[in-house]
Amino acid sequence: MARDPQTQLPLTPVVLHILLALSDGERHGYAIAQEIQESTQGQIRMGPGTLYGSIQRMLTSAVIEEAPARRRATNADESDDARRRYYRMTAFGRRVLELELDRLNAVVRLARRKHLAGGAQA
Amino acid sequence: MTVRRSLSERAYRAALLIFPPSFRARFAAEMIEFARERAHQARSRGAFDVARLAARLAFDLAATAPGVWLALVRDRDATGENALPRDNMDILAQDLRFAVRSLMRRPAFTIVAALTLALGIGANTAIFSVVDAVLLRPLPFPHADRLVVVNGMQGTQGGQGVSYADYVDWRRLSRSFDELGTLRGQSVNLTGGDAPDRLFGAFVSASFIRVMTPTMARGRVFTDAETEVPASAPLAILSSEAWATHFGSDPAILGKTLVLNGTTFTVVGVMAPRQAVAYNAIPDVMVPIGYYPNANGLARGTRGVSVVGRLKSGVMIDAARRDLSAIEKQLAESYPTMNAGTDAEVLSLRETIIGPSRAPLTILLTAVGVVLLIACANVANLQLARGASRVRELSVRAALGAGRRRIAQQLLTESIVLALVGGVVSVALAMGMTKGVVALIGAQLPVDSTSIGVDGRVLTFALVISILAGLLFGLPPALKSSRADLADMLRTRIGAGLGHRVTRNTLVIVQLALSLTLLAAAGLLTRSLIALQRVNPGFDGDRLLTAQFRLPAAKYDTPDKIATMFERTTTELNALPGVESAALVRASPLSGNGETYPATIEGRPPVKPGDEPQLQLNSTTPGYFATMRIPLVVGRDFIASDRIGALPVVIVNRAFVDATWPGQSAIGKRIRMGDSTWRTVIGVAGDTRHFTLNEHQLFQAYVPHAQRPQIFTSLVVRAKGDPLALARAVREAVWRVDRDQPIWRFRSMEQDLDGSVASSKTTMWLTGLFALVALLVASVGIYGVLSYTMTQRTQEVGIRIALGANAGQVRRMVIVDALRVIAVAVVVGLVSSFAMAGLLRTSLYGVGPHDVPTFAAVTLVLSAVALAACYIPARRASRVDPMVALRAE
Repeated sequence: MARDPQTQLPLTPVVLHILLALSDGERHGYAIAQEIQESTQGQIRMGPGTLYGSIQRMLTSAVIEEAPARRRATNADESDDARRRYYRMTAFGRRVLELELDRLNAVVRLARRKHLAGGAQA
Repeated sequence: MTVRRSLSERAYRAALLIFPPSFRARFAAEMIEFARERAHQARSRGAFDVARLAARLAFDLAATAPGVWLALVRDRDATGENALPRDNMDILAQDLRFAVRSLMRRPAFTIVAALTLALGIGANTAIFSVVDAVLLRPLPFPHADRLVVVNGMQGTQGGQGVSYADYVDWRRLSRSFDELGTLRGQSVNLTGGDAPDRLFGAFVSASFIRVMTPTMARGRVFTDAETEVPASAPLAILSSEAWATHFGSDPAILGKTLVLNGTTFTVVGVMAPRQAVAYNAIPDVMVPIGYYPNANGLARGTRGVSVVGRLKSGVMIDAARRDLSAIEKQLAESYPTMNAGTDAEVLSLRETIIGPSRAPLTILLTAVGVVLLIACANVANLQLARGASRVRELSVRAALGAGRRRIAQQLLTESIVLALVGGVVSVALAMGMTKGVVALIGAQLPVDSTSIGVDGRVLTFALVISILAGLLFGLPPALKSSRADLADMLRTRIGAGLGHRVTRNTLVIVQLALSLTLLAAAGLLTRSLIALQRVNPGFDGDRLLTAQFRLPAAKYDTPDKIATMFERTTTELNALPGVESAALVRASPLSGNGETYPATIEGRPPVKPGDEPQLQLNSTTPGYFATMRIPLVVGRDFIASDRIGALPVVIVNRAFVDATWPGQSAIGKRIRMGDSTWRTVIGVAGDTRHFTLNEHQLFQAYVPHAQRPQIFTSLVVRAKGDPLALARAVREAVWRVDRDQPIWRFRSMEQDLDGSVASSKTTMWLTGLFALVALLVASVGIYGVLSYTMTQRTQEVGIRIALGANAGQVRRMVIVDALRVIAVAVVVGLVSSFAMAGLLRTSLYGVGPHDVPTFAAVTLVLSAVALAACYIPARRASRVDPMVALRAE
């Protein structure tokens, strides 16, 4: 079903960060949460409910999908459990992410023009 | 690694039940794995982090479940799958409708149960709102988890001040900190306005401001060059509060000047409101540390400043302490006279601020938790009674094809709906109770009490514990109904099953035992408060007025000027009508002020630094002991001729004499305290309590103000009538000596004495209140069970009476039954009280946690109340008409 990515916008911060975390490859749930926590310096620290609630919604709207079952990686990481499901961004999801980033960029540019962001430090 | 599922994991698994089954099937395993990883990390950081994580996980689930349900519904609407029969949403909707109808059909039961739950949930929500604000929220500063306090240590004694010179070396040599800053809080005199005033001043380094990072409303902070010592930049930063109070929020304040301690400072910045940067207090004004007025205040060897720091990311507190200890060792080698035996201690800033609130809040939270458990047990009992009378209904449903699971699920849904009704009512209760609790204990909490209230987090908490409570009291009846073979029960007589009675008696035992535990806690706290109030402070606090002032160092720059000022002030005060006598003392008892020095005793071999006896040292004018009515055991008071140039003298307390020169006269002995002067003992005074009423008796020493002139002092005035009525006259008396001298903290000694027991008092009152509620709910519980059992046994009683038993025998039979239950409850309760009493240990004074009289008394109270609750059912039983009873079947 061809959907218009615009209908997904704007993204909630959690969804945005999940997409960002998946932008460089597939990950399992806990790894997504860890990456987000690190990349935001602990600003966004989500629990299991928040994470999987969002994942479910994102699966439904097809911005992400479950990656095919994965064989154990060669550098057998012990946490890489067979139980874990891996998620990856769909082409549709990438389109949504790009549109969202464009939208955010436009906001920042507007703020700059009004001298609200950047360079305001004394 | 974890083969067996831990209790916490099972709890998490159970909590996932609030999600739709389809969601659970897909994600539950992963979510549990996720939570386990987090728990693993938290466990490595200690019990507090585990508790915080548990709270976070509960919030996380409760906050996201509604969204998942909604998404499910929306999805179905969008895809038109509504017609699918028997799916989970339909079942839930059906169960909900049925639950509401069933509850409405028994309004009396529903109201009693919901109110009982509302009471329990409301009390928990109210106390949680305080716990959340105090113990769970981070300090309102950036990187708050990395903020630490560095204290000095003398030998094994921590919590000491730091020498400014040491701080400079730490800052230069340590590698554990992003930044270290220093602060010395002290009141400053503000002059140049209508009346002299006193501000709370913070003498700070620029790095201190960088550590705390207060939000600035306008202007700038200090640069490192501006806070160099010696001082050269007379600049000031105001708090928003002081800016409003003293400068009318003047928008052009930057660049204006103010006179502090006689020096003119230029305002360069104003902080945003509520920036509690100084150990959780808001300083009125911050100025560079170099302006700290006390002579030698920043010299090596004077340990007077406080140090805060922000750890580098990833550095543990322990590592930072080892880092500083190593530097202290170097310093001890370089400065053997000043630094021998000193060390550094690193504590979390948050712990330092909230630590003292933890014990009382834990007690209160446990107490309300117990109240809720009792309420749940009570409602479970009510449910069981109902369950028995619903056997017919349930059996019919089973016969029509409802599976046991469905019936259990239905009953559980009913319980949760009931709990949610209770939860909604409880929120209204909680709003009132939170206000009450804040009014009672707000002033003793280390947070802005206006920030405490029922907010989103607190509401989520109420929601979560409502659901948990619903599961807790709903599960026993639900399991029971699903296990029992209903068809069998239909055939036999209803509700007489032995198993049933055992369950109900167990619930009553749980309630009574928990009540006993709470009563014991309340009893111990009460005894401890009585002991505290009976403490003899060593002086007479009746009709005593105290106040404080600090002379500007620039104006009073010689010992003579200070001594003259103090002498004239004492004379003026003693001449006031309404004053019985008056004197000056550097630190009045229970005011929070006071200093302690290591003592050297003449003729004794030297001891290791840090092992000397510690003397609490005070300076007084002549007449202090008489004014305070502290007995002079031997020797004399100071007199006007004890001044600089005369023989240096000292008065010590009895405890010090008994420990130092047992069996000898102390008069004429010589001691040294913190400096090189040998002082001769001329008198021995009675022991007094100085910092708190429950302190171990301190060793104390007094020296004449005139031989140790310092610019800060307090005054004590024994009034003929109401001491506080003298405040104005006292202020004017001081102004007759110096028109520019601010004077503050007018308090009666009664207020200080009350203040020192206030926190124990509120903990006791609240625990007592909760214990009373618990006892009440438990009594209703035992009453209900007995009444119910009696109706079940009417037939048996009827036969007994028909066979010749008299009323007395029947009553006795009922009472003996009840006594058996009560006896078991008392044993269980005493065991759990003994176990719980450890929690109270730090909050008790003058009574052990296993105090036998207290336990005996509460056992008596509980038994008496429980027996009283049995009386009505017993009497009713003895009046059974055998004919009616036998016809009933």
